[in-house]
Amino acid sequence: MSNSDISRRNIFQILGAAPAAAALASAAEDTAKPAHAPYQRKVFNDHQWRTVHVLCDLIVPADEKSGSATQAGVPEFIDDWLDFRKQQDGNEDFAAQILGGLMWLDLESKRLFQTDFASSTVANQKQILDRIAWPARAAAADHAGVAFFNKFRDLTVSGFFSSKMGVADLPYLGNRAVAEWKGADPKVWAIIEERMKNGYKGLGGEVKPMV
Amino acid sequence: MAQVKATPKTYDVVIVGSGAGGGIAAHVLALSGAKICMLEAGDWYDCTKQSAMFQWPYNAPHRAAGSKEKPFGYFDATLQGGWEVPGEPYTNAPGTDFKWWRGRMLGGRTNHYGRISLRMGPYDFKPYSRDGKGFDWPISYDDLAPYYDKAEELIGVFGTHEGLENTPDGKFQPAPAPRAYEKLFKVASDKLNIPCIPSRLSILTQPLNGRPACHYCGQCGRACGVNANFNSPGVHIFPAMKTGNLEVRANAMVREVLAGPDGMARGVSYIDKKTRQEVTVNARIVVLAASCCETARIMLNSKSSQFPNGIANSSGLVGRYIMDTVGSDVSGYVPILEDLPPRNEDGVGGMHMYMPWWLYKEQKAGKMPFARGYHIEIGGGRGLPEAGQFGGSNYLLGGGYGVELKQNLRKIYGANVYMSGRGEMIPNDDSYCDIDPNVVDQWGIPVLRFHFKFSQDEILQAKHMQETFQQVIETMGGKVTGKAGAEENWGISRGGEIIHEVGATKMGDDPKTSVLNQYSQAWDCKNLFITDAAPFVSNADKNPTLSITALGWRTSEYIADQVKKRNLHV
Repeated sequence: MSNSDISRRNIFQILGAAPAAAALASAAEDTAKPAHAPYQRKVFNDHQWRTVHVLCDLIVPADEKSGSATQAGVPEFIDDWLDFRKQQDGNEDFAAQILGGLMWLDLESKRLFQTDFASSTVANQKQILDRIAWPARAAAADHAGVAFFNKFRDLTVSGFFSSKMGVADLPYLGNRAVAEWKGADPKVWAIIEERMKNGYKGLGGEVKPMV
Repeated sequence: MAQVKATPKTYDVVIVGSGAGGGIAAHVLALSGAKICMLEAGDWYDCTKQSAMFQWPYNAPHRAAGSKEKPFGYFDATLQGGWEVPGEPYTNAPGTDFKWWRGRMLGGRTNHYGRISLRMGPYDFKPYSRDGKGFDWPISYDDLAPYYDKAEELIGVFGTHEGLENTPDGKFQPAPAPRAYEKLFKVASDKLNIPCIPSRLSILTQPLNGRPACHYCGQCGRACGVNANFNSPGVHIFPAMKTGNLEVRANAMVREVLAGPDGMARGVSYIDKKTRQEVTVNARIVVLAASCCETARIMLNSKSSQFPNGIANSSGLVGRYIMDTVGSDVSGYVPILEDLPPRNEDGVGGMHMYMPWWLYKEQKAGKMPFARGYHIEIGGGRGLPEAGQFGGSNYLLGGGYGVELKQNLRKIYGANVYMSGRGEMIPNDDSYCDIDPNVVDQWGIPVLRFHFKFSQDEILQAKHMQETFQQVIETMGGKVTGKAGAEENWGISRGGEIIHEVGATKMGDDPKTSVLNQYSQAWDCKNLFITDAAPFVSNADKNPTLSITALGWRTSEYIADQVKKRNLHV
């Protein structure tokens, strides 16, 4: 860590402003409590809800570092987000893209495997996703599925990585008081310098050495 | 109890508005002993009690996403403001698409703004003399420099001494060290001969006047719970109230400035939003600081037999020459920032490095296709995840799902950067506001109608931004992920979108061609002053708030001096 972290408990000493910091810390703690009431669905029906759960966990499954999208509450996030967009946009266009896309999955699944998407085997589900998850190599006939999946993937990964579980997974290490700001960690900067000097082959492409 | 006919109280000064301009006037005048009534159209706000500092998007509605009600996200400090305020419309003339931000709360926009605090330079006061466009100010840099000094020492600004052309250094606190991606920006900028220097923000890196230094949570936009950044209530208004000379009334929506038969202002009338009653405040001096366009609106709506076209508007120039800042953005993905050891990159709530305008010599030599310049603001890093995190990841990763996608997303976290140009707009005859004759707001006050047009100078500046930023990102070994071309007018912002409206009651040397004199005193009404951005004659690429503060200080000292010399009937 380049910057020392401070727990909320001793922020008072650092900031030297006990009353203000106390009010803030307690306010932050209040909202840090998990919501108690079970989530009330606003958009998805029972079948869509089941499909959304299956699809979310295909996109963000559990691995050795963190849990899955459904464990992080992503279906609830998506349901709420569709409702939010309806209110903000004054129409149901965005929700229609998602609900229509779920229907596209079912139609394809029934056509190929005689069962809806959520009830298919994982192998069969993946067979359909493999057709729409990489836009550049998708068949033109599958464009509706591709457009839907781009949106649904965005919702799922945004919902997952902005959840408490996702924040810890990344990890995002801020949103806290830091006693002394030191700027870029020399260890991190050394890696960047090495890559500048020797070039770097990354996910986002190959970088030639910077002269 | 028998009715007593009380003489209504007359204040020395009534100040309309509590943002940067109203705040500095209240601060300077209350400390000089004036009895002041300040009117704020929005609610009371105290960031030490109401800031959302340290809260998490996953505990907020819709992961703290922006909405029509809260354009900058759920935790943004703005209470009832935005480009749309319920019940307080404005209109656009045909062909205009202007967005008018209002910050309806104590302290106005100073609660959430970016705290970028740049001095205008010597050239910026005499632009007409340099290139024949726009107007010169009636003052020079040397006239305002002492007030920049005082303003920086009061609000607290960090920065470094660089000695660059037309980029004056100030009374700075130490600047925070750059983040890793900002150091990379500097490497690329150096290669391209673009200066990349520590930014200048009104955020404390050392304690000042009982305010603690920043604790680097990066959330200045939520308002700081401990006043470590500049905001008008915490720095100007609450200390001024301690003198006993300043009374502040919230939810007071000013309708007009009242004028006496002698043509002098005698106070203002406002609507108390809680009771919907009209209330009059009598004062010997009226200071308008309601924000550039709102100030023009109040003046245009202040009609009387002495002032048939609105108060102090014999020139017909009230509302004319409004300007915003020219904005255009480019985003990019920088592979060598992938998959780095996790660090907290929050820092202060804003950039630690920026690029001031650098092509003065080329411009002077006639080698540039547009007049005036811009500075570059940069961003990136491992930011607080909220709604929209990793949106459009398929453009970078080609798509995918499953464990591989999850692993890839972890690697690309922190490797996105952006550059935003913030440039000078030259005032023009097509950009102004007037009163819409057919529309009133819910308080019965006639509303503004906007007319707005960028000229080729601004559009070509946006083009230059696009080309330059793409070059910088490519020099970093990055891929441009968001850009705009000719068909999108180079991504130039809409008028009002950058929220730097200035102008509308320009100062000058001649009552025929200006509304105010060099002290922001109305030519036609000598006890009427303006301390927001309305007196601005030009809109250099130096964000307005520091100049509002310095000009407001100068005006307030002038008021105090004129009162002392008995030139103002007080």
